[in-house]
Amino acid sequence: MLIEINSLRLSLSGVPILHDVQLSLREGEIYGLLGPNGAGKSTTIAAALGLLVPESGTVRVLGRDPLREPRAVHARLGVLTEQGGFYDWMTAERYLGFFARLYGGSPIASALGDRLARVGLTPRRGQTIGSYSRGMRQRLGLARALLTDPPLLILDEPTSGLDPRGRRDIHDILLALADGGVGILLSTHLLDDVDRLCQRIGIIVEGRTVAEGNVVDLLGASSSPQRFRLRLTAPPPQAEIGNITVLASDGEWWTVDIDPAWNPEAVWPDLFCGGWPITEIRRDSGGLEDLYLALTERTAA
Amino acid sequence: MPILLIAGKEAGELLLSVRGLAWLLVFSVVLSAFSLLLVSDTELSLLDNAQVVYDMTGIATALGGLLALIVGVDTIAGERERGSLVPLLLTTVSRDGILLGKLGGIAVAWVVIYVLAAPYLWAVGSTGQNLSDGLLGLALLGTPVVLGFGFLGMGLGAWLGTARTGLLIGLIVLVLAASPLLLGPSLRQTAVGRAFDAVNPFSAAINAYDAVIIDSVSVAAQATNLAVTAAWFALALWFARASFCRIAR
Amino acid sequence: MRRWHIVVVLALILQTLPARAGDLSIELAPDAKNPPAPQMGDNLSFHSIIRSNGPATVEGVIAWLSLVQIDPGREQPVDLEDWSAHKAVTAAALDAGETLEADWPLRLIQAGTYRVVVSAANRDGVDLATSPFEDFVVREKPVVESQRVLPVALAIPILIGIAMSWRRWNA
Repeated sequence: MLIEINSLRLSLSGVPILHDVQLSLREGEIYGLLGPNGAGKSTTIAAALGLLVPESGTVRVLGRDPLREPRAVHARLGVLTEQGGFYDWMTAERYLGFFARLYGGSPIASALGDRLARVGLTPRRGQTIGSYSRGMRQRLGLARALLTDPPLLILDEPTSGLDPRGRRDIHDILLALADGGVGILLSTHLLDDVDRLCQRIGIIVEGRTVAEGNVVDLLGASSSPQRFRLRLTAPPPQAEIGNITVLASDGEWWTVDIDPAWNPEAVWPDLFCGGWPITEIRRDSGGLEDLYLALTERTAA
Repeated sequence: MPILLIAGKEAGELLLSVRGLAWLLVFSVVLSAFSLLLVSDTELSLLDNAQVVYDMTGIATALGGLLALIVGVDTIAGERERGSLVPLLLTTVSRDGILLGKLGGIAVAWVVIYVLAAPYLWAVGSTGQNLSDGLLGLALLGTPVVLGFGFLGMGLGAWLGTARTGLLIGLIVLVLAASPLLLGPSLRQTAVGRAFDAVNPFSAAINAYDAVIIDSVSVAAQATNLAVTAAWFALALWFARASFCRIAR
Repeated sequence: MRRWHIVVVLALILQTLPARAGDLSIELAPDAKNPPAPQMGDNLSFHSIIRSNGPATVEGVIAWLSLVQIDPGREQPVDLEDWSAHKAVTAAALDAGETLEADWPLRLIQAGTYRVVVSAANRDGVDLATSPFEDFVVREKPVVESQRVLPVALAIPILIGIAMSWRRWNA
């Protein structure tokens, strides 16, 4: 287990922020940390990084206590904070070299170039960061997080400010990293990102974990239908299939809800056999959004 | 070595960023304005020449303290607000190592200020008295005073959390410390004035400059004033370390 | 010799004698090593001899240096604060015939024409003893040279401004 947080309680300046937070992240897994503004996501991440002292509960990162062994934890951890935090007067190359040295490595040009290439910043490596757009800064932050080839990444809003192509590129990088065994804790408000990237999620509301687990399991356990978008080469047959409801269509893409009691993996064969000319299936985050809204409204009430 | 690396980064912020260069420009313009005022007066007595050198060392110390205070607040609270402090805290460098690196950055800032001030002092004081002793006095006594204000800024930035609040309180302390320049001699001779003078590092530095540059007393005789500035340096350093080690995010 | 001749001769003789007032007399002379044409920044020294002339011991003697500027239109006393750290000498008592010698160093701070005098008083005396005057001229020396100040005052801000522009251009 890369991160294990149990029953975490934490106050800041005497104000209780976290009351009962649970979180667990395994190798090769992308975990989405969700919650309304002020719910305690950033505080939870800060506790995992060893920057805040909990009142009670346990925090283990890479098998260690981040408060007692911060340097050992930080040496194998890559972090992208929401603000990024860059030195505008430096070039990207110099910036990465600076941090590489701080981590105790010698900044080999080829290694730095590799990091920049992975995030698509090679053409801009010699320009000062002050001239970078927000999206480019996000990429640079990700490159910095990858400097030490860490087994664990903690990313706070990594695709914030990126255009769709940029977001897709970051998604591909993160999916490839997860395939390689890197565990990724992703804090984000973008449910599309969660939907595409995350196998497991945790939802924090008012300092408590209100839901945690596999996305499919959570959606199945909730009253929210599972929503998908199907690409069809022709309109589907008229015959109804009981566990599926067609919601909308633009002629090419059809949005459907699947009864929450049914596993979608079992529905697709029925559709194919029923003559549905499906060429592509995508999960629509509407189901996840409904789940999120339901949980956050219920808890707020 | 991480400490040198961070100090180098801090120095780069001052010397290679437009904002840092703007501060140095303001500093040099103030000294230039003061120097140019003197050019028109060709009948200065030797005393006035010494007074000019004394005034300019005082200005260099005051402006140095101001710039160090600003750099100190910015290097903690400003970086925190810009989001660049957390990535530093998450490296494998210890808190003390990061702190020492940032202290080194303030030291570099003072060296730059001293190097900038030296030509002005030479220009106005080379035909007068005690220029070399004045430069030595500025180095020996100005250094702990200026660095102390830098450390104070770091401590305030870490303790108070926002750059604006840290800077405001730091400026109040700086103005209080520099108030002997504004008070008349009679007020400084009152019981309260003398007590304040005895513990005020800025007063200690100014009194030492007066003795060395105007009264031609040797620098070696300034042990008491040096002790006051050294105590200020140590106290401010302790405050910076205590505040920084408690910083969370 | 006519009577008025005698009076003149006596007056001249008296003029050359040390000034008398009460029981103290003071002689004042410039140091032989003083520069012949001093300028601002130079050091001068004067030597005084205070003598107790009366039959009894003179107690509580204090002697001090006074300096005045005597340029026409600019006559004024000079504060010795920056000219000398040695402003007075004292003696608890001077026996009859005993002398008190003192050196009076001066750093020449400002150009002009000056007159220096040593005065003395004692605890029980009612008069002031003064030395003869010693006059000297301090030549001017240029102290703020524009050919040094202007290049520095203009060049440094310009160089920093150029550096700022270069950074902004290359950012």
